[in-house]
Amino acid sequence: MIQLLANWILSFDMLSGMGASVAWGLSLFIVAALIFVFVAVNAIVLVYIERKVSAFMQVRLGPMRVGKYGTLQTVADALKLLQKEDIIPKMADKVLFVVGPWVILVASVVTFAAIPFSDTLLAANMNIGLFYVVSISSIVVLGIVMAGWASNNKWSLYGAMRSAAQIISYEIPVGITLIAVVAVVGSLNLQTIIEAQGGTGNLFHWIPIPLPNWFIFHSPFLFMAAFVYLIGATAEINRVPFDIPESESELVAGFMTEFSGLRWALFFLSEYANATLVAFLVSIVFLGGWQSPFSSYQGTQIGFSIITIFALFWTIFVQGKTKRLSVYPLGLSLVITIAAWLFPGFAIWMASPGIFWMLMKVAGIIFLLMWFRWTFPRLRVDQLMYLSWKVILPLSLINLMGVAIWMWLTGEIQF
Amino acid sequence: MSYFSNITNAITTLVDGMKVTMGYFVRAREHVTLQYPDEVWPIPTRNIGVGELDSYNTIRSKLVVDFEDCIGCKACERACPVDCIHIETFKAGPEEDIGTTKNGTKIKLRVTSFTIDMSECMFCDLCTPPCPEDCIRMTPDYQFVSNDNVKLDVTPEERWRDRGHLIYQFSKVSPEERAQRGAEAEKEAAAKAAALEAKRIAAEKAAAAKAAEEAAQKEVTEETQEVNPSQNMVEAAAAPEVTPPQAPPGPPTQAKPPVEAGMERVDLPMETSAVPENPVDKPVEKPAFTETPAEPETSTDTNDASKGETENG
Repeated sequence: MIQLLANWILSFDMLSGMGASVAWGLSLFIVAALIFVFVAVNAIVLVYIERKVSAFMQVRLGPMRVGKYGTLQTVADALKLLQKEDIIPKMADKVLFVVGPWVILVASVVTFAAIPFSDTLLAANMNIGLFYVVSISSIVVLGIVMAGWASNNKWSLYGAMRSAAQIISYEIPVGITLIAVVAVVGSLNLQTIIEAQGGTGNLFHWIPIPLPNWFIFHSPFLFMAAFVYLIGATAEINRVPFDIPESESELVAGFMTEFSGLRWALFFLSEYANATLVAFLVSIVFLGGWQSPFSSYQGTQIGFSIITIFALFWTIFVQGKTKRLSVYPLGLSLVITIAAWLFPGFAIWMASPGIFWMLMKVAGIIFLLMWFRWTFPRLRVDQLMYLSWKVILPLSLINLMGVAIWMWLTGEIQF
Repeated sequence: MSYFSNITNAITTLVDGMKVTMGYFVRAREHVTLQYPDEVWPIPTRNIGVGELDSYNTIRSKLVVDFEDCIGCKACERACPVDCIHIETFKAGPEEDIGTTKNGTKIKLRVTSFTIDMSECMFCDLCTPPCPEDCIRMTPDYQFVSNDNVKLDVTPEERWRDRGHLIYQFSKVSPEERAQRGAEAEKEAAAKAAALEAKRIAAEKAAAAKAAEEAAQKEVTEETQEVNPSQNMVEAAAAPEVTPPQAPPGPPTQAKPPVEAGMERVDLPMETSAVPENPVDKPVEKPAFTETPAEPETSTDTNDASKGETENG
């Protein structure tokens, strides 16, 4: 994409005077800025959505005052944070205190360089994309420890230490789970991983239910691996129920306690960037990334017809028992189905891979993370370690071996 | 085996929890509470058993005075069992026309202050029947919130609760006029007191002169044993003139008894409205956060004013 942008810049007569390297550097800068803007806007939108989701799950309405339905609430919050006084505690280690948040933010944003948004839209097509993402996102823990140590506050230090222990513990099962997928594809390139998930096949290779060839439907082991990865990744980004590094009831705000204003906003930004990154990785590795769930336009029509029938049954038998009938899911699927049957162009667009499907999957995973967050109680430290070392790690090892055996059984690999 | 049952248990309970939250997520609008400033509950309509159905068929809440119709008779003030109504009136001048009420009664008293302390009001509705002009009434408006922090014209004694926004001033007379009226009344009272004082001094002088004369005469009568009729006449004339010295303005008079007024109207044992007999005892009953120790009683103050006014009248 950077090279394409550079060529596009050079294609203008007015700008062709600059050298190729200058154009390349300029497009590099533009792409970096675009990624940063994506991360920032993404955080603002996600904070609003998270507040709304949490409110609905707790039978509230959430922000309702700023803008229609409170849509401008997070913009106002961001403006407030930018205006706030920037406090550095007197006894803090000034250098680390200033650098820490930026390390976290940079580590979160830089990972997006390797994330493919669609089949053409990605900053850098690396052949070690998955390895790059996993390794760079681990740098976050460095920034957290820096911030926690520099604050010269017991809560901050506790939070940082817990965070470090937690991230290092969960790094192992997450890595092994991803290796299981890499074993299937034989490549660390994220584009190659997504391309390997195209088309439609049977569920678990033998069960005759036509489903897309996503790795979550590849085998029971990868199905399990998807959940193992999701749990491990949730722990890695310090989200509830694994939020002991910043558990409000124990450590005021964990490693963020002493931070205010812009620096605190950076933590928030990186938190949501990390959540988005996890959602991207799950959809890339297990849900087919930018691949459409439908292999052809007939597939779109039939698939949405089936979804509409399901929505109809759900509306009648589940929603019909409640006081107020919610017909939005049924109506939405009905509209899309009719559109798919009436307009073949729409059906073809739905069946073709693209950024739409990628973002839909990412949104779904982020909603799942929010659903987790506002449902589950927090784990204790010992429970956390129990889960990591005694449950998740053995499960990921079983997955790795199981996938290998499964591929030998299905004949995907020969010896 | 407890290892696997643990895992199964964890998964099932987590799925249960997720079902619950998703159920609320989908049907949040159904269960969410009232968004108060934007929406309010409809006011319940019911008959409270007083008056016409259409005019009084409602809840009793905020007291309202149609000030244009108030004649300052203080019937409501006397009826109030908790002393939350305070009225201050001055007699209108001879050529001053204050107006008439909707019933055609000519208003003779200038009501300079009409405060209702809503923090003390107990919504008993006893003040509305005595009103001869039907100008004090209870409304169904139960919302005491306000956006502005209005500084009301209330006495410092009323301020001790720091609930200024709950003391409603209905008088439309400006504080300047109120002060002017008060000053005029004070001046009048002072003039009257001065006149009385002068009279008293004159009478004393006369008495002293008479006494001296009597003493002088005694010496004479001891000798002559004669009675001067003119001297006796002077004594007889002076005796009624000698009035006791005028009490200084603002003696600690007893609080007006509003209990009796309420008792007459309602045939109920009015233990609830039992006002402490001694106003000095009252501050003890008040909450401990009063910072003004043993402050002068509000009712006595207003009573003094009203007493002065009636004396002036």
